[in-house]
Order: sequence, then structure tokens, then C-alpha cells
Amino acid sequence: MALRELSSLEKFLGLKKPNKYSTQGDKKVPVLQSNNGPALVGLVTIACHLVKEAKRPELLGDSAESRAVVQQWLEHRVTKLEGCTKEDVKTVLKDFNLYLQDKVYLAGNQFTLADIFMYYGIHSLIVELAIQEKEQYMNVTRWFDHIQHYPGIRHHLPPVAVLRNRIYTGRHH
Amino acid sequence: MTLFVSEGNPHCLKVLAALEVTGAKCDVQYVNHEERVVPFLSRPALPALLLPSGLHLFSSNAICRYLFEVNGQDSSELCNQWLEWETTELQPALIHALHMAVLQGKGSEVSKVLQGPLNYLDQSLSKKNTPYLTGEAVSVADVVLWAALYPILSDSSLALGERKSVKIWFDHGAAMHSLQCAAQKVLQGKGLQGMKSYMQKQPAPQSSQCRDTQPCNSSPA
Repeated sequence: MALRELSSLEKFLGLKKPNKYSTQGDKKVPVLQSNNGPALVGLVTIACHLVKEAKRPELLGDSAESRAVVQQWLEHRVTKLEGCTKEDVKTVLKDFNLYLQDKVYLAGNQFTLADIFMYYGIHSLIVELAIQEKEQYMNVTRWFDHIQHYPGIRHHLPPVAVLRNRIYTGRHH
Repeated sequence: MTLFVSEGNPHCLKVLAALEVTGAKCDVQYVNHEERVVPFLSRPALPALLLPSGLHLFSSNAICRYLFEVNGQDSSELCNQWLEWETTELQPALIHALHMAVLQGKGSEVSKVLQGPLNYLDQSLSKKNTPYLTGEAVSVADVVLWAALYPILSDSSLALGERKSVKIWFDHGAAMHSLQCAAQKVLQGKGLQGMKSYMQKQPAPQSSQCRDTQPCNSSPA
């Protein structure tokens, strides 16, 4: 999974030569061998490296604050979205929904690597949601739909239909 | 800028140490473990940093990284890698170990839980000839790892076994006034027992097997 995400990121960044990755450990942590230095280990570490290689530093945030916010959500992705229980999923979505209430992207008004990797990570959760749940997490759904239609992002993932027209208005029982 | 911390919370040791090391200007507020500081999180998350823009950071590593960056020290790729390792590999083992040592009185089993990450750290340190994780100078990665490991490694009763490179590296940190000062604030000179009331409020750590039996995308029955 992680390797497909990195390969999708490479395509989005327009990197000409695809890298070769291996994995290590039970959790299959991605490893990037490089010709001129030690190997890089870890999904977030490698993703940030690719962004720098493509000379797109703005994807890591354009100020110290937004860089910290981007790193925080990348960390959230690899610590909280992996291996969570059903109860955890509800909390993760509820909190994420509240966070996105007044934001277009995770770091505010600017699209960053955090949006890309939270989208990749949350895709399997969104696929499972019933229509009513998508309504319940409206801000997540709006953000998700926005990112999946962002040029060059989706790649290895199937599109998820989110409500275009609000069939239900308000909370229904 | 305001940093919210609580006594006895091991994650707060990291940010207080980073604050001491960088000398960043920031108010520090001590709150209860249960205090919900970050408005969008349903569970209490400490430490938290209220940024000048009004946004909250709720990850201790992101806070440390930010404090270093506003102090003019950007994190390198190697630094990123250690920070990612700390959250994904070391923390789950550490939480498990602290739970056993502080709440279950099973200090003798801590060594088994931590041997994987500690051996990895030892091998990485012994492979290179630098005193610190990323080179000749202290980086945010050293501060985060020192602070994370401080409660465990400074407790001599745990008998974790001899790891020469880890010991030399850790002793550099343990000797620093900034780290000792942060540890005193969080542990109150009580060592591992200083974390007891915090640990009692935390959910019991999931064993790694749970991951495989409860995938997060399993559909409701």
C-alpha cells in the first residue's frame, strides 16, 4: 500500500525516473535506497524527500506554522489511521470533520502533502461509509471529494461517489 | 504562543526539553490530564501548542520541530527519519513498557518489550562516528528521543542490559541542564512513579496482534 502511494506521489510530482523501493520489518515500512547516501526509511520521510527532489517545497508548507501543521497531519496519518479499531474510526472521522469545518485544506488555504497522504490514508474508511454517515461527516466528505478531483492525485485509488445533491436535509431519523 | 502541558505526562517532557534547549519564547500553562485544550479533538491531547495564528498543534513531535524551526534549526531528512521512527516504532513499545513498569509492577519485563527498538538505536549509533543522531550537533531528533527514553533509561532498577552506544549517547543528553530541568517539571523527582496518575487515565495499550484481527475498514456486522 505504502509503495503504491509513493509511486502515485512520484507521478503527481512529475518525477521522471521512478524510484525503486523495498520494505523492512513486519509492518512493511518502505525503504528508499539512494546512490549517494544512506537509505531513507519511512513513508513520511520518503514522501518529504520526493517533494524536495521535485523542488516543490510549498507542498510542505509555506511558513514555519504551516510546515508544523503539515508534519502533524502526516504523523497523524501514520500513527492514528493505521490499525485503528471501529470505535477509533468514529473518533478519527468526528475530530477530522470538526477540524475541517473552517478549512479548505489541512494547512488552511494551501494544498499540501498532508492533504495527499490523509486522502490516501482515509480512502478505505470513506469507501465503507453509508450515505447517512457521509452526511454526518460533511466537512470530511467535501474535503475528500475536493482532493480526489485535484489534478493528478487519485492514481491508484478508485473514485468514491459522494453526495452531489443533498437528498436529506438536516438530521433525519 | 502558549504551550499546554500536564505533570506526569511523558510526551510533555519532550516539548519542555525542546523549549529549554531552543530558548523559544512561549507561555507555559499547566493543566489537568483531562483538560480538553484542542477544540476539535474529542479526547484530551497534551501537550498542545497554541500558535500565534490561533491554530493548535497537538503532536509533541510537531511542536518540538516547530520550536526548533523558529529558532533557526530546520530538520534534516535524517532528522525526519528519526522522528518518524520515534512515533511509529518506539512510542508503541514505550507506552507498553511504561504501562507494565508503572501500573503493573512488571519492571522485569520492560527489557523484553523494548529490546527491538533499543537494539536498532544502538546499531544505528554504533555504525557512525558522530556523538549525536544526525551528526556533530544536537538536533530535534536527539532531544525528542532523549526525552522519550528518559523515564525508562534513567531508572537503573529496570535492568535493560548493556548497550554501549546508546549509553554514551544518552549520557550526553541526561547531563544537559535543559533535559534535567524538563524531567524535574514532569516527573517531580519521583521517577517512573511520577507518571502514575497520568498512566491510570490512559487506555491500556493494544498489543500488536490487535492490528491484524481488527482491520479499521471492516464493515459493521
